Amino acid sequence: MKVRVDHLAFSYGAFTLEIAGLSFAEARVTSIVGPNGAGKSTFLKCLASVLPPAPGSVFIDGQDLARLGGKSRARLIGYVPQEPAFTFNYAVLDFVLTGRAAFLPPFSSPAAHDVEAAREALRVVGLAGFEERPYFELSSGERRLVLVARTLAQRSDILLLDEPTTFLDPRHEVEVMELVRRLAGEMNKTVIVTLHALDMAIKYSDALVFMKQGRVVAAGRPDDVLDEGLLRSVYDIEMGILNVAGRRLIVR
Amino acid sequence: MSGRRNRKATALAVAAVVLPAILFFLSLNIGAYRIPPGAVLSTLGDAVFGGAGGPEPSPYFDILFRVRLPRLVLALFAGAALAVSGASLQALFRNPLVFEFSLGISYGAAFGAALSLVFLGRGFPPQAAAFVFAVAAVVAVMAVAGRSASQTVSILLSGVIVSALFQALLSLVEFFANPYALQSLIFWLMGGLGLATWGDLAVTLPLIAVGVTVLILLRWRLNVLSLGDDEARALGVNVGREKVLVIVLATLTTAAATAVTGVISWVGLIVPHLVRMAVGPDNRKVIPLSAAFGASLLLVADDIARSAASFEIPIGILTSVVGIPFFIVLLRRSGRLWL
Repeated sequence: MKVRVDHLAFSYGAFTLEIAGLSFAEARVTSIVGPNGAGKSTFLKCLASVLPPAPGSVFIDGQDLARLGGKSRARLIGYVPQEPAFTFNYAVLDFVLTGRAAFLPPFSSPAAHDVEAAREALRVVGLAGFEERPYFELSSGERRLVLVARTLAQRSDILLLDEPTTFLDPRHEVEVMELVRRLAGEMNKTVIVTLHALDMAIKYSDALVFMKQGRVVAAGRPDDVLDEGLLRSVYDIEMGILNVAGRRLIVR
Repeated sequence: MSGRRNRKATALAVAAVVLPAILFFLSLNIGAYRIPPGAVLSTLGDAVFGGAGGPEPSPYFDILFRVRLPRLVLALFAGAALAVSGASLQALFRNPLVFEFSLGISYGAAFGAALSLVFLGRGFPPQAAAFVFAVAAVVAVMAVAGRSASQTVSILLSGVIVSALFQALLSLVEFFANPYALQSLIFWLMGGLGLATWGDLAVTLPLIAVGVTVLILLRWRLNVLSLGDDEARALGVNVGREKVLVIVLATLTTAAATAVTGVISWVGLIVPHLVRMAVGPDNRKVIPLSAAFGASLLLVADDIARSAASFEIPIGILTSVVGIPFFIVLLRRSGRLWL
């Protein structure tokens, strides 16, 4: 599914997010990068309707996001927040099952096929066998995977991941990003991630969106947009781009 | 692993049905006047099948039907109401220390019921005013806590403030009550099941039945709501509407019980926590099991209240004596072991 943003504006306090126009393609990974406070997470929250966007500013395959009901929206868009704080220590399977909320009326509980959808989602992210494990006993990396599994149980075609690799060691960082690639490549999901690790963004993304002070500074394929002048203007420090064995590396 | 979990869940589900039933029957024997089990059975049998046994009605008939049955039925319903309401509120507020008492609902309901009893008389059902002021108490607590309502301590503080206000208002009602009404008011406030008549139950039981049933139907939804507003919204839930629904139902069941029993606190805290210790936090199990074990706990508490001393101990005092140490332990180990 294609996501199109058209003059999206959102503000709180002194901060204003203003996205003039931007598109996210199906079966592609787009990474939103930029310094702290650039508005990356706020942008993602608007797309997830956690901060509801104004009518006429975000379109999903031509449908106005603001006019969709909660259930239809949740069936289109899955959102993985940054390290959410939970109170109750649910078993992993019970946790992933909450992704089925959009398919169930309020007065009913998940049926066998919902449980199967949740188990299948855990298999896809490589956590088969974790069903009965308590969520709090998992490592941060495993928790991220559980959160991704929940959006798979939700069967949404658009995935929004807010800094899915923060606080992860290099191995888990790669694991999460490989999964993100597979979701776009094999399952045709429209994946939008916010990232701090530029190297990861360059390696795993089909498109990059650079943000600063609530605005999009540059957007496009990594090869097309990336240059040292852009990095300097976005991050306000000198960064070099090296070509090593066909890969582009950022040096500080 | 999952097999063991299932077996444990099945055993608890059986216990949830059998335990209240056994306790209910045993409780019919206990009291100021002991009735042997055989006599209980034959009296109940006579009543149901038309007393074919003989021309003389059982001497136990009045004790069983006018005194014991209404209070035991009330114990079952009120226990289930308080425990289910506590469990639901804990999930909804994502706060293991929240329950009808710490949210000000108990004293809001007590004030409403007292106001109704003193100024409108016993002819008017006190449940209506109890519900109105219980809702007012929750709304006030949420307003006082404001944006920090999701924080454990600030909502408890707001609960203390609002409870104090309603206790003060309650004193005002006592001040204006005539001496005769005052005595029964104070006795009722301490919490007790002995004053229940079939007339009171005719209003209270259906309200509790509806509230508890709908909350049990919402049990899985409470899992989703317990993840937090943003999470639940992203999962497609109409958070505002469903939160209001749960709060209204939890308040309704508590107010309906409190209007008849007075303030019986701590059941809504103790029972859900014991259930979570046994089966984990999944509300699909926690809510129905809380209903069963809440009912059982209040039956046992009432048995003790009736038989431990030569006089009747107010049940609200009993539950507080057990509940407060429990609360302190929970507060200390907020290092979530079974949540």
